[in-house]
Amino acid sequence: MSELVVSLIITLIKIAVLLGVALGVGAYLTWFERKLAGHIQARLGPTVVGPFGLLQPLADGLKLMTKEAIIPKGADVPVYYLAVAMAVAPAILLFSVIPFGPEFEVFGYKVKPIISDVNIGLLIVFAMGSLAVYGTIFSGWASNSKYAFIGSLRKASVIIAYEVVLGFSVLGVILLAGTMSTVGIVEAQIERGVWFIFYQPVAFILYLFCMLAESGRVPFDIQEAEAELVTGYNVEYGGMKFGAMPLAEWYLNTVALSAIAVVLFFGGWSGPNILGPVSPYFWFLAKTFGLVFFVLWLHWTLPRFQAKDITEIAWKIMLPVALANVIVTAVVVYFAGGSQ
Amino acid sequence: MKVKRLLRRDALNIFEAVLFIDFLRGLSVTLRNLFRRPITTEYPKEKLTPPKRFRGAHGHFVWDGTEPDSLKAIEKFMSYEKGKSRCVACYMCQTACPMPTLFRIEAVQLPDGSKKVVRFDMNLLNCLFCGLCVDACPVGCLTMTDLFELAGYSRRDEVLRMDRLERHGIDFKSRRGDEPDRIWPNDKEREKLWGKIKWSG
Repeated sequence: MSELVVSLIITLIKIAVLLGVALGVGAYLTWFERKLAGHIQARLGPTVVGPFGLLQPLADGLKLMTKEAIIPKGADVPVYYLAVAMAVAPAILLFSVIPFGPEFEVFGYKVKPIISDVNIGLLIVFAMGSLAVYGTIFSGWASNSKYAFIGSLRKASVIIAYEVVLGFSVLGVILLAGTMSTVGIVEAQIERGVWFIFYQPVAFILYLFCMLAESGRVPFDIQEAEAELVTGYNVEYGGMKFGAMPLAEWYLNTVALSAIAVVLFFGGWSGPNILGPVSPYFWFLAKTFGLVFFVLWLHWTLPRFQAKDITEIAWKIMLPVALANVIVTAVVVYFAGGSQ
Repeated sequence: MKVKRLLRRDALNIFEAVLFIDFLRGLSVTLRNLFRRPITTEYPKEKLTPPKRFRGAHGHFVWDGTEPDSLKAIEKFMSYEKGKSRCVACYMCQTACPMPTLFRIEAVQLPDGSKKVVRFDMNLLNCLFCGLCVDACPVGCLTMTDLFELAGYSRRDEVLRMDRLERHGIDFKSRRGDEPDRIWPNDKEREKLWGKIKWSG
């Protein structure tokens, strides 16, 4: 068996596992979020379907799949369908550069628990983060509805502002690690024995803001804005198409960007060895879940910013802070000798 | 009454803005609430018991020997039957009712000269549950129970007839009859709530 076939099979297995896990986690995060929101508001959340309402995502999926799919009059049909794919695909592709653990060996073959360990991993993250907005914009344009259109335009303005800040906030970490590969960044942190959040606290806060903006979470959820825009960009979608949009934006994107944040700032899979060979995965997933929990927690705490405030904060406050952070980091790295 | 003045700045100081103090304060509020017990009543599985004076569906108290002695006087004018409604068809409830079409009361004179109520219908679709009919009843017959699940499959289901009213009355008395009919259980509690009541003249 040639090397190529083996690596192809390994990659396919990794893709299958990751896709299943990501979609399953995304579905079950809806349950988790509803429970969390319920208890924060002194309610119970789903309780009826299954024990603790655990089968609620399945029931929701069943309901969404049996719904009638209505295409609005005057819709741009190919783009209307394309929007769903454009929303879901980048969110899933974000997972392809996330390293879940260190390299290990199975039957003499070296396996990295990352789908593609490219040396420009972070660029892929930015690319996919920017691509995700096309789903929103297409859906708003194609559904021929003013609410959807306003929602998608708002999202576009937010993304334009926050992509810039996101790039500059991550630049500090890249300078420190000396690489753009996600595996390399984690290894740099393990080598130094310190997480980059201690070197780059400002960058982390900026990244957190950008993460909320990219995944359309409160306080930056103006593209949905239930109170103003019904539900914004996905208002004209029905059935599973309607289910796929929030699944991609609110759950898959949040999980993926949290995982990237863990890679960048929380040392990836590093942590004390408490569970033997499973321990790195445990640490990675625990940290990711902690961040996701924080995002959900924030969602049910804060009110929504005004659309103009969001872009104003990004351009007038966060971008200068991010630039200052990059410059200071660059100077310090230059004189103190960063990764070498 | 003392007025408590609260200071409310509309801008955060630089320390609070940089450290996201207001965010953290909000987060602590939601976290505290997260671990509080939910106040949900899971309705079909759990049901709250309304207070005794809740104004639910109507009922008729029946002749069962617990009525005050003063009512004994009317026994000989009415067709008295144990376990049947105390109603004397005086039309006071209909008169008090703000809705003219709510009641349909009919009574006949039996050969022995006594009066018998043959019909007492209440159309609850017209009812606004104000309780004026209950206050008007001179024989303490008409009452309002704590039944609140009044949905039905047809409009006819919403008309309370004599037998259903009697059933409600008997049921309500057997369940809640022993509870005090006031929001205070005794004079001491009343004084706590309302203070000493003195003749105003």
